[in-house]
Parts: sequence; structure tokens; C-alpha cells
Amino acid sequence: MAELTIDGRKVEVPAGTNLIEAARKLAIDVPYYCYHPALAPVGSCRMCQVEIVDPGRPPRMVIACKTEATQGLNVSTTGKDCVAARAATLEFLLANHPLDCPICDKAGECDLQNFSYLHGHGVGRFTEPKRQLLKHELIGDHILLDQERCILCTRCVRFMGEYAKAPQLVVAGRGDRNVIATFPGERMHSNYEGNLADICPVGALTLKEFRFKSRVWDLDSEESVCTLCDRNCSVTLDTKRNRLLRARPRKNPKVNGWFMCDVGRFGLLDHCNPSGREEGGFVKGARVAPDSAVNALADALLADRGRWLVVLSPRLTCEEILLARTVLGPLARALVHVPVAAEGGDAILFTGRRAANARALELLGIDPISAEDLAHVAVEAATAGVLSFDSVALATLQGKAKLKRAALVDVWRRGDAADAAAPLGVEFFVPGTLFTEKAGSFVNCDSRLQRAARVQRPPQGILGEAGLLQELARRTGDPARNGADPTALVLAALGQEPLTLLQLPEEGLAVAAAAEARPA
Amino acid sequence: MANYLSLEFARSGPMLLAEARGKGRWATAERVLKTLKPEQVVDEVKNAGLRGRGGAWFPAGIKWSFMPKEPKGPSYLVINADEGEPGTFKDRQIMEKDPHLLLEGIAIACFAMRAETCFVYVRGEYLSSVVALETAIAECEQAGLLGDDALGTGRRVRVLVHRGAGAYICGEETALLNSLEGRRGEPRAKPPFPAVYGAFGRPTTVNNVETIANVPFILERGVPWFRSMGTQGAPGNILYGISGAVENPGIYEGPLGMTARAVIDQLAGGVKAGRKVRAFIPGGASTGFLPPGKLDVVMDPDALKKEGTMLGTGGIVVIPEEVALLDALRVLSRFFRHETCGQCAPCREGAAWSDQIVGRFQRGEGSGDDFALLNDIMRGSKQRTICVFPEAFAGPLGSALLHFKGDFERRIVSHGTAVHG
Repeated sequence: MAELTIDGRKVEVPAGTNLIEAARKLAIDVPYYCYHPALAPVGSCRMCQVEIVDPGRPPRMVIACKTEATQGLNVSTTGKDCVAARAATLEFLLANHPLDCPICDKAGECDLQNFSYLHGHGVGRFTEPKRQLLKHELIGDHILLDQERCILCTRCVRFMGEYAKAPQLVVAGRGDRNVIATFPGERMHSNYEGNLADICPVGALTLKEFRFKSRVWDLDSEESVCTLCDRNCSVTLDTKRNRLLRARPRKNPKVNGWFMCDVGRFGLLDHCNPSGREEGGFVKGARVAPDSAVNALADALLADRGRWLVVLSPRLTCEEILLARTVLGPLARALVHVPVAAEGGDAILFTGRRAANARALELLGIDPISAEDLAHVAVEAATAGVLSFDSVALATLQGKAKLKRAALVDVWRRGDAADAAAPLGVEFFVPGTLFTEKAGSFVNCDSRLQRAARVQRPPQGILGEAGLLQELARRTGDPARNGADPTALVLAALGQEPLTLLQLPEEGLAVAAAAEARPA
Repeated sequence: MANYLSLEFARSGPMLLAEARGKGRWATAERVLKTLKPEQVVDEVKNAGLRGRGGAWFPAGIKWSFMPKEPKGPSYLVINADEGEPGTFKDRQIMEKDPHLLLEGIAIACFAMRAETCFVYVRGEYLSSVVALETAIAECEQAGLLGDDALGTGRRVRVLVHRGAGAYICGEETALLNSLEGRRGEPRAKPPFPAVYGAFGRPTTVNNVETIANVPFILERGVPWFRSMGTQGAPGNILYGISGAVENPGIYEGPLGMTARAVIDQLAGGVKAGRKVRAFIPGGASTGFLPPGKLDVVMDPDALKKEGTMLGTGGIVVIPEEVALLDALRVLSRFFRHETCGQCAPCREGAAWSDQIVGRFQRGEGSGDDFALLNDIMRGSKQRTICVFPEAFAGPLGSALLHFKGDFERRIVSHGTAVHG
């Protein structure tokens, strides 16, 4: 450990911590562009200059990103020279910047804007012709490059090499002809491209998917998780008028570090803004209001107590799974889930297992069953019918088993691959909810439970999975859940301190030993 | 005092091994490697006061002493033969005419620093230097002077020639190392210094060609002999390069500490007949312009530092009256704009912006406000970047503003705070 002084205040940090992070511990913001906590520092933007004050000597200017904290170091971030140096650096960076903030997606969360307000001159003295370079060039599957806005911090170049392990961006040219570029004639291909738009401190790298969609200050932002694989990356979801416009990774050293993958980032946009979603209920082929479908299904379940086979989905929240276990457990012949195999994962974040809450099903004791076994059990004499919360699992029965009765509670969109589970092919269909339409929690592959916020309203009338379960609880008079916080019940069931959803720590909570061997 | 570095410069091609041995080349290396200890060599170079001829004038022996004494894994010697400073063309003389002098120095330096491999990074345009060096290396390997059993001592000394690709910045030692490794030629932030983390992450010393060429003579003739030449602070001879309006431009050997006037008059035949000196550059483009009143300045690194400039590489450029100083400055500002690597914002933008402003003055479109702006550009970039490139572009610019402000003032059109000269 090293104790040092920054702007007259003492702070203790592990020796070797750089001065940006040491200052951050005191809530002193040293501005920077090229530095990023997840990347190797290069020290080229010259924005983080601070002064080292040694008694009896003139202050010595250093770059905070590459200067290590040592015992007794005395640092000033407000010295006359470093304030002037930052202002000079900003004047250089702005000299050729197009200042097209009014049409720039980054405006409002741009460090060139922010630092100009905080550390800049407020006037420009550059009267020469500005550089004219590429604007809005698609350089990957998702990323647009604006070379004029670029300040050449090279975070993107280092990110692609160091983190994405796909060194497909370079600095080409020299001096003031330097530009960020791909190999001539090639585009980037990586599952981590989207992060470039986040780490770009200016508007040089923006998302095709977010282009001109909204000013960022008009977005509603909530903390949540990505549910497109069982990594459950911590994210911030940005919505506007009930549409998800952007998903961004949220720093969580325990789960995803700083980043998220493109499968999640862009998949969520599709997942949460479904087109052709079936919003009505179905009973015996007839379209009915969702609450009528709930009532009809509840009647059928109670009429054949102990004889329905219930298939839970690994995309339900923990709270829904526990409620299903409580309410449906006594009513059903069995509660099972069909484990999902990993497919196309990578060694970085994406696990390829599209079953965000599979670990919660395991931890809450829901029995796994293979698709083959499910097909057998589904047609046994003791089984009156199959109620599935998982359209994919139900679809696997297609052609394998002639079901006596079938019910589906899930989000279903017309044209889905899981067509076999189409509402018209089942006796009961209750429209389900997206994970963004309900508050709840998810447990990732490493047994970390995190909160997912409700950021969207479900379509009018949709009661969802919880609607059916609560109706059943009301009818069966289950007393256990009266007034209790659903998340606290989940945590209690997992042998943890019963925190409520809002009491969960930002980084989530480890609810079991991490990463034991999972069933294939 | 007798010359020693330039004795072979009059020949038309490289001196081959047989002749070189006849002139004493390799005898010192053989004696050193067989009879001395590495520390003794380092001490000898330290005591001689040999300073680096690449422009920074850092004491070579001290630089060598930073290398690990008990290396765990390879250490490297890298010879900086990138020679890109405008007005500088001395190192190629050594490589093209007397390559065995450099190789002998390399063998001794490798021994002193416990390095088995030396990379010679040669400026890409210097094809004849590369050919001369590679021929000489092949001769030495054939004769057992270099290779796995150099000079029969059982030590390995391997010399590899690497051609640069035409970037001035690759003369900066850490940019050179990046380039050598196949990366972009961009200077590295220091620390770590090359002696700790150099080529391929290994302890490395980078020395200029001329510096290493002095080494065999120091070990052959001794410290008192070396110190009998040059100045107290900078002993020895230097290869002065003289170009521009002089009678006999070229490379001339002379002791450090001559005046610029003496170099021009005694070595280069004087200023070209009928011309008058308007300005001169003392040591390569980045050292800037001095007015003729400064011709009696002493060519010594410390003396020139006191004048606010540098000895640099000792490449003197004489600029005659009929050259507009702003035109000369623009040549250099354009050069530095073209050659900044561009990784640090102040240098990348500062070199370009100041070049644009100088261009405006050149076209007669300057403004009185530009003086403050140019000074702010220099102040905002000097000592504010990874390497000293801003000092390089500020050399000519700052000295022109200091000594030749009238040349700018005559090109002002806009009014504001303009001063009319």
C-alpha cells in the first residue's frame, strides 16, 4: 500500500495504482481520453496531466495514467501549469474537430463536450481550413466511423486487439494524416464491436442501430441484465416511449467487467421490441382476452389436479420460478425444465447458452428432463396434459408426441421458429411477458443473482406468467406468499439473507458456489 | 590534432576486411575481448567522457552501465543509423567507407554490455550503407571475427542489419525499437527505459553510429589521448556536416569546441563567394536558426544549450541572404508536420497548426494575433508529450520568432493587434 496526497487530501491505495485511479478514490476526476481502466495505457492524449509537487523544487508535470502511486507522493490536479496544459490539449483536439454536436449521436455523453466545459478555453482560435475526412463509413457489422470527429485516442484499436482478440483496427497514416482504419477493403467482424461505441470518448464510432434514434438526454435509463445467454452481463437499458433503443454494458467486475457482446447488445433490441407479437389469448382455437385465457387454463389445471406436466422456462425470473414451484408444485404431476445446450459461445463473455436463468432452475430444485424423456412422459396415461412456459421446449415435442392437451404461457411472435407451439396448435395460450416488462432477478452461470428492472410496459391486458400463477394462488388459497417480497422469498429459499429486490447490491449476490460442472 | 574518424572517407567504396586489418581494424577488439573485463571497457568509455553523437549527447559509458551485469536472457545493442535529421549525413560516411570501424566498435560494445546480438537500424534510403555493412558482416563471419565464436573468444556476437522504411521519427530510440519489432514507429512512454525494457522487451542500449565508431580508438589510444581533443565537457572529435551556401559542403572531422565560423571558414572553405549569411542552423533542422551575429558560438553541446539551442548532430546549414527566412522555415515546418508520428495530440495538432500559420505568413496573410498563438502552440506541446518532437518543430519556429520576427511582421495583412514592420 502507498499513502499519497492528492490536492491536499490523503489517500491510501495499493502501490502501483495509477494516479487516475488513486484520485478517483477521493472522487477527484482527472480527465482522460486514451486511458481506459480495461486497456493498457499509452499516455498519448495528454489530457490527464497532473503535477508532482516536491518541496523546494518546481512542480513536475506527469501523465496520471502512467504514473504510479508511491509512498509520500504529493500530487496536484489543480496546479496552474497542469490546468493550462489541459486547456492547451483541448484546444489542440478541438482544432480540427467538426463541432457537429447538433447531429452527433454522442452529444450529451461526449467527453470532448464535457471536458471542454470543465477544462477548455470556451473560444476557438483555429481559423485554418479543417481536415476533411471520411464521415459515417460502415467499418463493421454495426459500427460507423467518422474520421473527422476522431481524436485518435486509439482506445478502439487497443480494444480490438487486447480484449476482442480481433486486431482489425489500426492507425493508418502519420501525423495529422493519422486515421483509424480497417484493412483496406475489409470490415471488422467480431462479437464485441458494439463496445467500440461505448469506449469511443467522442462521436467517432457510433452504432448503426442507434443512429439518429434519440438524443441521449431523452432516454430513460435503468440498470438491468442481459438475458440472451447465462452470463447475464450487467447492462443499462435505454428506452424511449416504451421501446428499447439501446443496451449498454454496465461495469461489473464480478460478471462482465466493462463490456458485453453483440449477440446480447443487438439481440436485446430485437428481443424487447418484438414485431408480430401475439397479444391475445387463445382457448380451443378461439381468440379471447388474455384474462379469459388465464381463467380457462386455471380451470383446466384445477380440474385435473396432479395430472398436468409443467415445463418451466429458463427465461423466467427467479421470483416466477419460485412462485411456480409454490403454486404449481402441489397441482402438477411434475415440474421440469429442458436444459439448453451451449451453442456458438466464445471464450470472452458469450456462453452460447440461451437460458439466462437456467442456474436458478437448478438451484431451486426444478428437475431437468431431456427432450426425449419429456416426449415419453408427456403421453403417459398419468399425464393429462402439458403446460409449458417454454415455447422452445414445447416445440421439441412436435412430431414426437401426440399430446392429449397442451397449454403455452410465453411470448409468441408470428413467424417464430417455434411455430409448432403456435397458439392455434395448443388448447390454451396465455401471452407471456418479456423480462423487461417485469422486475425480477436472474442467476448467472457463476451463481450470481442480479436485479433486472422493469423498463417497458407490457401490451394492454397482458397478465403474463405471474398473472396465471397469482390467479392459481388466489384460487388455491396459498397463504405463504401474502405480503412477502418475492425476491426475499427467493433468497430465503436459496439459504441467503432475505434482501428485497431493491436491496440487492449493484454487483449482484453470489447465491451458491460458482461454476460447478453443469449437466450437458 | 590528428583526425581519426574520417581517414577513409575519401575512398569511393567500402574498405574491405583485408585492407581494414592492415590499417589496424579489429586488433583493438581482439585485445579487448581477450584481455579485458566488460566493466573495464565501460569504465574506460566513461572516463573518456564519450558522449552520444546522435544529438542528445548523453554520456555513453553511463548509458552502458545501466545494462544488467548478470542478464537473465538476452540483452541487445541497437545501432541507430537512421540518420534522418535534415542537414545530417555523417553516419553514412562511416558505414559506406569504413564499415569495419563500426563493426569493431559493435563487437567491443556488445562485449561491454554482455549483449550477443546487435541490430543496426539503417535509414531505408541508405541502400549503399546496407550493402557495405552486409558485405563487411559476411566477411567478418567468414573470418571468425563475428559469429558464434567471435574472435576465437567463445563469445557470440551477431550483427543484423534492419532497414527502416522512411520515417524521421524512427530515429527516436524507442520509436526505432517499435519499428524494429515490426510495430508502428511511435515513441514509447518512458519509463521503462530501453535499458530495462527495450527491443523485444529485453534490456537494450541504443547508440549512434559515430558514437560507436569512437570506441575502438578510445580503447586503443587511451583516455588521455581522447580527452586531449574537444572540450572539457565533450571530449573528442566530431564529424561536422556542412551544407548550404559554403564553398565546399561536406563532412569534416574536427574537435568539438570549434566555433561555427571556424568550421565554415577553416573546414568548408568559407561562405560561398559573393554571398552573405542570413542565418545558420548549428546542428540539424531541429536546432533552429541563429543569426550571423552568433557565428562565433562554440560547437559544444553545453555552450549551445546556453544559447537556447543544441549541438544536435553537428549538421550546420548556412542560409544566404537571398533565401527568405520564412521560406526556409516553411520547408522545415512542413517537414516536421509530415514527420510527427501523431500519437500525442499536442504534437500532432501543434505541428500541423503551426505549419498552417507559417504558411499563411509565407503567403502574406499573417496576423498580429498569430504571434501569441504560435507561442501558445509551442508552450502547449513542448515537454507535454511522450518524446521531444515538439521541441524539434519548435526549434526552427521558436528561433525564427526570436531572432527574425521582422520577417514575420512584414507579412502581416490583417489588422487587429498587428504590428507593421
